[in-house]
Amino acid sequence: MTDIIDKAAMALSGGLMLLGIVGLGVVEILAGAPYGAAPVTNDAGEIVATPMVDPVLRTGLVLAGLAVLGLYAAYRMMAPAEDRDIDRREMTAD
Amino acid sequence: MSYQATNPLADEFELELDGPLTAYWLALLRVVTGWWFFHAGVTKLIEDGLAFGYGPAYLQQMTGTALGPIPVWMGNNLAFLIKPGVPLFETLIGLALIAGALTRLAALGGVVFMTLFWVGNAGFGHGLVNSDLMGLLLFGTMIVFGAGRYYGLDAVLEKLEFVKQRPKLRYILG
Repeated sequence: MTDIIDKAAMALSGGLMLLGIVGLGVVEILAGAPYGAAPVTNDAGEIVATPMVDPVLRTGLVLAGLAVLGLYAAYRMMAPAEDRDIDRREMTAD
Repeated sequence: MSYQATNPLADEFELELDGPLTAYWLALLRVVTGWWFFHAGVTKLIEDGLAFGYGPAYLQQMTGTALGPIPVWMGNNLAFLIKPGVPLFETLIGLALIAGALTRLAALGGVVFMTLFWVGNAGFGHGLVNSDLMGLLLFGTMIVFGAGRYYGLDAVLEKLEFVKQRPKLRYILG
């Protein structure tokens, strides 16, 4: 059970962050200029091209991924990890 | 009472290179750092091809920096290498980090780039510890931890017989 929650938290948070940063970043490059999250302006400062993917969505996905990690950390504080996945050795007191 | 003999500092949330959270986080950092450079490189390739003229100009303005006359000399004499090299190597370093292949070699390239950015941007309006230095440290972190071994191709490459017979290759893999 704990293993499943560990893996789900990591997969979901990592997936959300990578989707916001890399996944939609690839979409932004393929969609043509501007290749980043900022609009293109001319010399007069007027916006001549806007990003295809709203940066609000991309930053929101990253924040959601971080929030999942935060929830996972809170859960771990309530239910500390067992020793199962840590290579511990029993030490006897002399 | 249990005690982790190999790493006395390890606890549930401490640094355990064999632990799931550390491996996950190193892999995530590696891919995002790689994406950062890939994006910088590939957009230069799209817009300027292999003729990134700002590269030599950037180096030429690095007079009076801690690197002395080296970058200025490079900008004046190695422009034919720098114009195609900046977009190409940024892209390749990014791809290598995303895939986790030749991670240490690629991250070393990233360290070189970030050193030039950190020293050359030189305004230091936000202090000496700025985002350029943090980027430099990220690449250093990739090297120290061999981040390509976590969900990366280096974990596969290092198991090849070719690499096992040449253990020094592990300095550029991993």
